[in-house]
Amino acid sequence: MKLKEVDRTAMQAWSPAQNHPIYLATGTSAQQLDATFSTNASLEIFELDLSDPSLDMKSCATFSSSHRYHKLIWGPYKMDSKGDVSGVLIAGGENGNIILYDPSKIIAGDKEVVIAQNDKHTGPVRALDVNIFQTNLVASGANESEIYIWDLNNFATPMTPGAKTQPPEDISCIAWNRQVQHILASASPSGRATVWDLRKNEPIIKVSDHSNRMHCSGLAWHPDVATQMVLASEDDRLPVIQMWDLRFASSPLRVLENHARGILAIAWSMADPELLLSCGKDAKILCSNPNTGEVLYELPTNTQWCFDIQWCPRNPAVLSAASFDGRISVYSIMGGSTDGLRQKQVDKLSSSFGNLDPFGTGQPLPPLQIPQQTAQHSIVLPLKKPPKWIRRPVGASFSFGGKLVTFENVRMPSHQGAEQQQQQHHVFISQVVTEKEFLSRSDQLQQAVQSQGFISYCQKKIDASQTEFEKNVWSFLKVNFEDDSRGKYLELLGYRKEDLGKKHIKEEKEESEFLPSSGGTFNISVSGDIDGLITQALLTGNFESAVDLCLHDNRMADAIILAIAGGQELLARTQKKYFAKSQSKITRLITAVVMKNWKEIVESCDLKNWREALAAVLTYAKPDEFSALCDLLGTRLENEGDSLLQTQACLCYICAGNVEKLVACWTKAQDGSHPLSLQDLIEKVVILRKAVQLTQAMDTSTVGVLLAAKMSQYANLLAAQGSIAAALAFLPDNTNQPNIMQLRDRLCRAQGEPVAGHESPKIPYEEQQLPKGRPGPVAGHHQMPRVQTQQYYPHGENPPPPGFIMHGNVNPNAAGQLPTSPGHMHTQVPPYPQPQRPQNGWNDPPALNRVPKKKKMPENFMPPVPITSPIMNPLGDPQSQMLQQQPSAPVPLSSQSSFPQPHLPGGQHFHGIQQPLGQTGMPPSFSKPNIEGAPGAPIGNTFQHVQSLPTKKITKKPIPDEHLILKTTFEDLIQRCLSSATDPQTKRKLDDASKRLEFLYDKLREQTLSPTITSGLHNIARSIETRNYSEGLTMHTHIVSTSNFSETSAFMPVLKVVLTQANKLGV
Amino acid sequence: MREPVLTWCVPLELLCSHPLPVSAFLKTQVKLYTYRACAGKDEMGKMVSVINTVDTSHEDMIHDAQMDYYGTRLATCSSDRSVKIFDVRNGGQILIADLRGHEGPVWQVAWAHPMYGNILASCSYDRKVIIWREENGTWEKSHEHAGHDSSVNSVCWAPQDYGLILACGSSDGAISLLTYTGEGQWEVKKINNAHTIGCNAVSWAPAVVPGSLIDQPSGQKPNYIKRFASGGCDNLIKLWKEEEDGQWKEEQKLEAHSDWVRDVAWAPSIGLPTSTIASCSQDGRVFIWTCDDVSSNTWSPKLLHKFNDVVWHVSWSITANILAVSGGDNKVTLWKESVDGQWVCISDVNKGQGSVSASVTEGQQNEQ
Repeated sequence: MKLKEVDRTAMQAWSPAQNHPIYLATGTSAQQLDATFSTNASLEIFELDLSDPSLDMKSCATFSSSHRYHKLIWGPYKMDSKGDVSGVLIAGGENGNIILYDPSKIIAGDKEVVIAQNDKHTGPVRALDVNIFQTNLVASGANESEIYIWDLNNFATPMTPGAKTQPPEDISCIAWNRQVQHILASASPSGRATVWDLRKNEPIIKVSDHSNRMHCSGLAWHPDVATQMVLASEDDRLPVIQMWDLRFASSPLRVLENHARGILAIAWSMADPELLLSCGKDAKILCSNPNTGEVLYELPTNTQWCFDIQWCPRNPAVLSAASFDGRISVYSIMGGSTDGLRQKQVDKLSSSFGNLDPFGTGQPLPPLQIPQQTAQHSIVLPLKKPPKWIRRPVGASFSFGGKLVTFENVRMPSHQGAEQQQQQHHVFISQVVTEKEFLSRSDQLQQAVQSQGFISYCQKKIDASQTEFEKNVWSFLKVNFEDDSRGKYLELLGYRKEDLGKKHIKEEKEESEFLPSSGGTFNISVSGDIDGLITQALLTGNFESAVDLCLHDNRMADAIILAIAGGQELLARTQKKYFAKSQSKITRLITAVVMKNWKEIVESCDLKNWREALAAVLTYAKPDEFSALCDLLGTRLENEGDSLLQTQACLCYICAGNVEKLVACWTKAQDGSHPLSLQDLIEKVVILRKAVQLTQAMDTSTVGVLLAAKMSQYANLLAAQGSIAAALAFLPDNTNQPNIMQLRDRLCRAQGEPVAGHESPKIPYEEQQLPKGRPGPVAGHHQMPRVQTQQYYPHGENPPPPGFIMHGNVNPNAAGQLPTSPGHMHTQVPPYPQPQRPQNGWNDPPALNRVPKKKKMPENFMPPVPITSPIMNPLGDPQSQMLQQQPSAPVPLSSQSSFPQPHLPGGQHFHGIQQPLGQTGMPPSFSKPNIEGAPGAPIGNTFQHVQSLPTKKITKKPIPDEHLILKTTFEDLIQRCLSSATDPQTKRKLDDASKRLEFLYDKLREQTLSPTITSGLHNIARSIETRNYSEGLTMHTHIVSTSNFSETSAFMPVLKVVLTQANKLGV
Repeated sequence: MREPVLTWCVPLELLCSHPLPVSAFLKTQVKLYTYRACAGKDEMGKMVSVINTVDTSHEDMIHDAQMDYYGTRLATCSSDRSVKIFDVRNGGQILIADLRGHEGPVWQVAWAHPMYGNILASCSYDRKVIIWREENGTWEKSHEHAGHDSSVNSVCWAPQDYGLILACGSSDGAISLLTYTGEGQWEVKKINNAHTIGCNAVSWAPAVVPGSLIDQPSGQKPNYIKRFASGGCDNLIKLWKEEEDGQWKEEQKLEAHSDWVRDVAWAPSIGLPTSTIASCSQDGRVFIWTCDDVSSNTWSPKLLHKFNDVVWHVSWSITANILAVSGGDNKVTLWKESVDGQWVCISDVNKGQGSVSASVTEGQQNEQ
């Protein structure tokens, strides 16, 4: 494809490869006259600006020369890598002269542009070449067999490569070897080529086919192979290019006979040794592979001959050709459409003519019509084979999970045309791990969680703490796992109950010594002084007045004492008055303590005293208000305190067990972008959540937005380091946030769990056929525009099954549970093994909130009617159907999404099953119920419910007889504990425990527990019967430490709670 | 930095009886480098470890290898005109598909997001783009785009949020955008003359809604602004933006390279307001372009490194903190931005070969 053209009859030289931008120098040709027969000569420099789409070349400079040129070359002499110095232009003139020009001066418009000149040669200098290794060396050839080697550093005295060849002949071409710097070749129209060794200063080999018809017009060395060169012949009788190998110099290695008439010029691409340009008197410009002889490309040219052709050294796809019709054209061999260019020309013409009414005819000219070209004409095809420079030999791309895919094609240097060796084409998949410390800490955290060794973990953290604050945080966290956590908190704040008690007792003793002896008589005075008045009031039972009098007299103690006698109301009022009057420093504290107004303390204490406030709360606050108060204090610290206090708010949040706020506070204080600082946070969060779960029996499975974001960021980081399993473990479970669900799906699949066959796997994204605007917890997904894509691969052509498949993640217990109840399985469905996720579920407690719902299930669950309707409906507009159904259908379904999966028999746990709906043979509309399912809802399940529930009650299998004893023993123990437990917190814990043990019973029903675990459980049961709970606890520890965590995580912690309680209560 | 430690042995003893000084041959032949440029060399072995070596059985040069969204399947393409898909889960390498259909070397492959099914796009020197799709476990040609007049060098799928849109850059200078409109139909928009004499790379900007990152009213199409970057033989990187009328408009020209831009890679969004693009070039330079404010759209380049050879490919890690750079010396290096904003090489991805001589390489390949 033609890129540019210049109307000049000139020799041409591209700027060296180092130069940027690319210039083309033209020097008026000595051999050809242009159309004007002008004898003026000039040297011009044009810039190749490819961002300009027009065919014009930007002229940078013109220098009027007294010479016309036979040869022009542009050498990189003294050029630096930045290309600031633009090298040297070397011209071969008509009268044996060689002239050196400074291109930068030409461009700058200087008058003095000639660096040096020498006319040592005889006759026109037709051959010039620069040594590519030593760019100061230039070879030239002229008549009389003259060859000179010029050193640009010492231009005055040229060298010769050796004795002149005889008989004297014109030198038409000269070329330095591309591989060995002291080898030079020359050729003459007589057809002989001579190879010179400058070291030996003599010709070392002569190449000739002895046909006498080789009329050498071109000579070029192989860019890669030192011993190979080509010679081109201008003779119409032998219009060939001969490829010679000097090792076999008796005859050409190959003869390229692609031109019909004599060849005028050749150029071998330095960028790809398989591209040799040639132009001839047949008016063709060909690009052929000299190594095979194949013509790869024929440039679309007009009928004119070209006498000079050059590759652009910098842009390997660009070449220029000078033709006898006085034009230099710049082409790309990459093909392309010329439509754009043509249109430009039309536009230009139109704009020149104004296009309106240039001739005043009153009629605007019709738009210029360009003869409609057929597509084939306007499109120029590229080279038949791709040039080397677009063949990417190497690549490295990251993929999910910190994997790096790399490949490289080792280049085999083709020495002497040696056969390419059989290459192995390998692709390497590597794991990139850049955050070692992060990973190992994450690992430690996981181990701590799995082994439940929280205390020792915290202790380790305390020991390793670098800062006091860090130490504090971990100490606070640790306390959560110890008995009497509030007391320990107080200790951490610097208040030891025992110490205070001791002090107090001491004081009491001292006081008692001064107590006046009671007994004896006393005098009731009713005098007019204040005592008398009080006495009067007392005698009349007027406590109120008495108290007032006392207060008035500042006899506070008396007032209070009297008020106590006067009843609650009076006491309260008196207290208030007292506090109003009292100015003591601790009054407000006392006020708060007496009034039980902890909020007051928390809200209005000086923030410097946050420790004291926290201590007060720890001491006095009721369990139900404790968290809120800690929270409040934390919030104040965060909002009002300075940066130091702000961080202390974390401690309050830890006491409060408020994970979300801890995250928020921490994030504010720390730079969370670094993996290790995120690790710092996650460690605390995970431990705190565990603590909250253990101590406050709270449902921690709900994850706030911020925490979820942090956890998923953390999971992303882990995944990016290749720790897919760990990432899954840390990813919050119970969330509808689409990005987390997508990440989960991605992680599950990345883990490489088998997908049945290679059939279209399911994706946690809405398929395109989905109707828009679904209700419920999928809101996030609505963000995905489904515009224009809804019809993608319509049902008819086997839709990839829609739906959001959560591989066993909705239900932490599903892992390892293989369906054992075929009755609930879709028969088409191949068993879909759950991914082995040892981490499964520890991150979240076996969701407590599911348990109560389970009991409500029968009432709650009413999918059949609304759900079947789309199935029953004939195919129709799915959207309108969906819209109609929305009010009713989705409701039960979305509630289903949080259904107690664990309690359904095996088949129900089947999340990852191959979607039955996607199978062929199902009516397309069948899939709609699935679509309704919330992401995260086990869709396979949903559908099974729809089918099975109306017809069949879900019944649990009985616990095998031999294990029934476990259930009875544990339940009995819980009952005993319940009856002897006094405080509501313990009762609540026990209630929860009894519910959570359902998981165990389920596992027993399905017989999915390993024998070691069941036998261990039996041992515990036996120890319970003997009331040896400590032995039971030991066994418990043994089981936990030796078993697969995911297998036991659902019930073992609870069992421990029960055993501990039983031990404590001594039942 | 680098030092050549092996000089060339002149094959033509006849011509070379007097060896020249080493410096004379710097540009000539095989060079064996010892790398001292990379500070993390000691950690290198630990940091990057080959976990799977896939013998692709391609019969010619491999030009691209891409994992799918999950990292479980590997697609490769080669000068042998084929595209292959391997299941590489658990260190395995099961050939799933050997896709024939291109009539020239296949340059690049790109996986569509799985929400659209299993779809792979490939582009070739044969001027075609083929979209392959798995149906019932078999991969088949789903669509063929023959709208380019020259080699199609790069394909890239738009963020999944936009629907199925494929950008293709070609040596004819044009970029075409294929949008799936349903029922097997693809709408084609073409940017002519995007890069004179050729576009080498296209890369989409991550989907970011201006203003809010999270809170979008559900059910409403978020107001995404679609952008992509392209690099070409005009040494330019150009940024393109879809106008409200659906037309693509050149938004920005990024000029720093002095030779062909070989690849551009828009970094994944990690929730920060900064946009980042990596570009590499024939000139051996790799630039990191950043733009702190999309609305002002001022991009500033930072030179990551100047290599001694063409740099072919740049790839961001999913978390956008590591850049893999593949160079013409067959070397892959990993780069990370340090705290003070400097880019440092953290690792050479060394599999035992690289810029070593052929004979050495053979021996090492056998070891693998």
